[in-house]
Amino acid sequence: MSEAATATAQLSARGLTRHYTTRVPGRFLHSKRVVRAVDDVSLDLFEGHVTAVVGESGSGKSVLARMLARIVTPTSGELILEGATVPVRSRRTLDYAAKVQLVLQDPYASINPVHRIRHSLERPLLIHGAKKDDVETLASAALSRVSLDPPERFLDRYPHELSGGQLQRVSIARALCVKPDVLLADEPISMLDVSVRLGILNLLRGLCDDEHLAILYITHDIASARYIADETIVMYAGQVVERSRGTALVDEPTHPYTQLLISSVPDPSDPTSQDPNRTAHATFAVADVGCRFAPRCPFAMDVCRKDDPPDFMVGEGHSSHCWLHASEPEAAVEVAPPRRRREGEPTTT
Amino acid sequence: MKTLRLPKSPKVILGLGIVGFFILMTVIGPWLAPYSPSATNFAANLTPSTHHWLGTTSLGQDIFSQLLVGARATMVVALVAGLVATILSVTIGVAAGYLGGLPDDGLSLLSNVFLAIPGLPLLIVIDSYLPVNSRSNSFVIGLIISLTGWAWGARVLRAQTMSLRNRDFVEAARIIGEKRYRVMFSEIAPNLLPVLASSFLFTVLYSIGAYVTLAYIGLTSTAVWNWGTMLYWAQANNAPLSNEWYWFVPPGICIALVGTGLALVNFGIDEFINPRLRAAGLTSRQRRKLGLPRRVRLGFTPVLHAAKTPRVNASPAKLASQ
Amino acid sequence: MSADTFDIQAVSPPNARHAVHGLREDDVAAGVGGNEFVLEVNDFSVDYGVGANMVRAVNDVSLNLRRSKVLGVAGESGSGKSTLVYAMTRLLRAPGVISGGNVTLTFADREDEKAFTTLNLVTATEKELRKIRWTHVSVVLQSALSALDPVLRVGREFDEVLKTHRPDMTKAQRRQRAAELLTMVGLDDDRLSRFPHEISGGQRQRIMIALALALNPDLVIMDEPTTALDVVTQREIIGELSDLRSRFGFAMIFITHDLSLLVELADEIVVMYAGEIVEHAGAGELYEAPRHPYTLGLLNSFPPLHGPRRELTGIPGSPPDLSDLPAGCNFYPRCPFKMSRCEHEAPTLTAIDGSDRSVACWLHSPDSPVPVPVELSRTAHPTRDPVTSSEERP
Repeated sequence: MSEAATATAQLSARGLTRHYTTRVPGRFLHSKRVVRAVDDVSLDLFEGHVTAVVGESGSGKSVLARMLARIVTPTSGELILEGATVPVRSRRTLDYAAKVQLVLQDPYASINPVHRIRHSLERPLLIHGAKKDDVETLASAALSRVSLDPPERFLDRYPHELSGGQLQRVSIARALCVKPDVLLADEPISMLDVSVRLGILNLLRGLCDDEHLAILYITHDIASARYIADETIVMYAGQVVERSRGTALVDEPTHPYTQLLISSVPDPSDPTSQDPNRTAHATFAVADVGCRFAPRCPFAMDVCRKDDPPDFMVGEGHSSHCWLHASEPEAAVEVAPPRRRREGEPTTT
Repeated sequence: MKTLRLPKSPKVILGLGIVGFFILMTVIGPWLAPYSPSATNFAANLTPSTHHWLGTTSLGQDIFSQLLVGARATMVVALVAGLVATILSVTIGVAAGYLGGLPDDGLSLLSNVFLAIPGLPLLIVIDSYLPVNSRSNSFVIGLIISLTGWAWGARVLRAQTMSLRNRDFVEAARIIGEKRYRVMFSEIAPNLLPVLASSFLFTVLYSIGAYVTLAYIGLTSTAVWNWGTMLYWAQANNAPLSNEWYWFVPPGICIALVGTGLALVNFGIDEFINPRLRAAGLTSRQRRKLGLPRRVRLGFTPVLHAAKTPRVNASPAKLASQ
Repeated sequence: MSADTFDIQAVSPPNARHAVHGLREDDVAAGVGGNEFVLEVNDFSVDYGVGANMVRAVNDVSLNLRRSKVLGVAGESGSGKSTLVYAMTRLLRAPGVISGGNVTLTFADREDEKAFTTLNLVTATEKELRKIRWTHVSVVLQSALSALDPVLRVGREFDEVLKTHRPDMTKAQRRQRAAELLTMVGLDDDRLSRFPHEISGGQRQRIMIALALALNPDLVIMDEPTTALDVVTQREIIGELSDLRSRFGFAMIFITHDLSLLVELADEIVVMYAGEIVEHAGAGELYEAPRHPYTLGLLNSFPPLHGPRRELTGIPGSPPDLSDLPAGCNFYPRCPFKMSRCEHEAPTLTAIDGSDRSVACWLHSPDSPVPVPVELSRTAHPTRDPVTSSEERP
């Protein structure tokens, strides 16, 4: 396997933005308030790579996933599928659905409870052109692929008879039935029991390595992102605040939000990691002008409150959206495509 | 929905029994009838006797035969009306709820209009336009009754659809590329089965009432025997004043019984359709045996007085295997 | 390391060891009669339903909680952790029933700080339960949004609680107390005039905590209070809780699936599986030296934040189905160290390594045919120095 970087991404996003306008009731007139759910996000998904997007609720990560899946229309920005620009204003085509699939967070809610598992797997097969006679074999193959063996045991069951972990595998199998090139996973393990989470993560990693899918893994848990990611992106308030190859940013976080995130994660192996002097009264205000994180940032400077910073390169393939790194060169719009990770390779930095 | 387990609630069993009984009457009633209902060759105004279990009318017709034969038309019309109305309400309600926007506005307007117009006058008007020979056709009557009975169900189904519309599995269906009409009727509608079933039962109930009323007013053909027509004749011949209770009371009771049966079945519909909702709670008999209070109040979890089960893993399956 | 020099306090991580050197700790040390434990649970069982369809959700659980200590209850779905804690306080909803055992709460009287009353919650009358609820035992639920009345302003919630349990307070006093409580959890008292939906999730949870502490109870039970919150807010709330504990000295039961959080926060941890306790140990030693295969599997289910990336497997299989448990050990189908004895005989919770730890596993019984696996026989360090412990980690 050559180490040459795969130059063409399966799916790319350039400057994806999604704004919501809400009405704020006033005394006489309603004023408009713009909620910037996703603001100018660019990323690339390469085959055989897992890109992890880490963010808390409200960071815009789910809206981003839905824009990439084209079930939410962006306010502005571009989507490029296999090199060809997709007109974002047009309706989502069946062809797009065949190439880009989305797995949702709640396994119990994402499979229709009144139909057997068989039905949930047959539909995508039939919609995308499988012959009626082949459906049974293909559905069984999909279940085996996600380690639900023997498939016959599961095909005739109802969703409520399966556990959360099994249902999430069915959800992934359903997405695989379409034979997509890109698999978007929106917090696929956060509603599962702790002991089954790793199984699903290993499955995703396996699908990526064996079937060369491009996977987008969205999560609020940075530790799980570290476990499978080839590229990590941290989002805050709709923007990308830091991104790096592999999990460099977990080992060396350069953005104050990333630092805050990492230090907040319970880590019994490192008792010094919690800062007892942390601000107990952190506000949740997101600034409208300047850097969004400034109200909460312990290092905020004057420039931070006035202007939104650009991305600065802080390492190879590692950029940070923060004025603290202003002495570094500015990053190009996209970070250079990551090297394909080989088996057994240690953490890239 | 697949392992049909018998409902345990006595209410539901009673309801099913009653409805089942009348359906049986619909099917075999005319065969069981001792005489033809229209035959006027008996003595008039006889009180109930062994020859005529419910006596005879002023025209010398056997009332019991009329009751048995009349069951068929009444029930058939009610069922047809219920079915058609339910189909209409599903189509319109689910479409309005799922599509939203302009289609929703239009369909909602339609439902609201039909809901607002008083049913009976509308029925009378439509009925009066029917050609006379159609008036004897049960299906046609059923159809026009359904026209006045679908709106309420549509409203309810629309509301339910709107809440289901945002559920993950609907989104998942869209994501794999399912067409809109399939999402509506293959994914969403089956989840509405409890509401649908309930709506169907109520519509059947309404239809019986509507049909009986139409017949009672004399707007249906008197050639077709039904309970409403019996009441019509009874009223026309002053049966209530002459104390001929055996003429108008039996059809009245039958109508009331069918209604009651349908209502009782409705109670158990949810549990019947969805086995997962089957109550894991305790029946009052079990409660009394264990010394538990009749109603469990929140904040005071009951404590069993029964002998404590042995220390080692005591789930029934485990105990059985040891 | 000899068993009799074992000191449970010494092995818990330094950051969870709080300066609880207040009055109660001294009481405990002095062994003031019978009040060492605020809660004692003996052979407690809870079922859902009765008869043929009965499912045993909690089976013969016994545990103690010392005054001012934190007990962590860890487990996944079907473990019975929430059922246990709700049933203990008689808050379990139908069709749950308590099918055996005792739960004894020992609390100080309002009037006389030194006099302690003991109440068996299982046999208590409604009146007695009402008396201790909120004044001596309070609960913080997982979702504050569903626990707070959406049509009442926050201030009213406090007012209601105080009015019900302290009828002697005037309206002004209640208002003042509510403001005090909010300040205590780090909120401005303008929150009192807001509705729950106008406040962020983290702040709502702090309000729940403030409400729980309104009457200075002896025991606070928290059921996954931070699960729905983001990790930064969680960190802040845990910090607040530690602060509050050192000030007021209440004991705490913290239920969660996040074992790594418990290792930091709790003094002792109880791991539950399929309704039974499988391991009970001090937090630090549970983390460093697990004894039960399930605990080991659970600890290995958290991908680490630091260190080399290697493949982890979690625990194969699915969480147990309580209506269809295996004949012997509940964990048998998923255990990597199973023996033939485990298939037919269910192990009981027995003390090991001295009297403070216990585990329910045949691997640790004296007549076990195989030696204890390496992973389950690590030693915990008696003293934790943050600098050296990372070097000495096996």
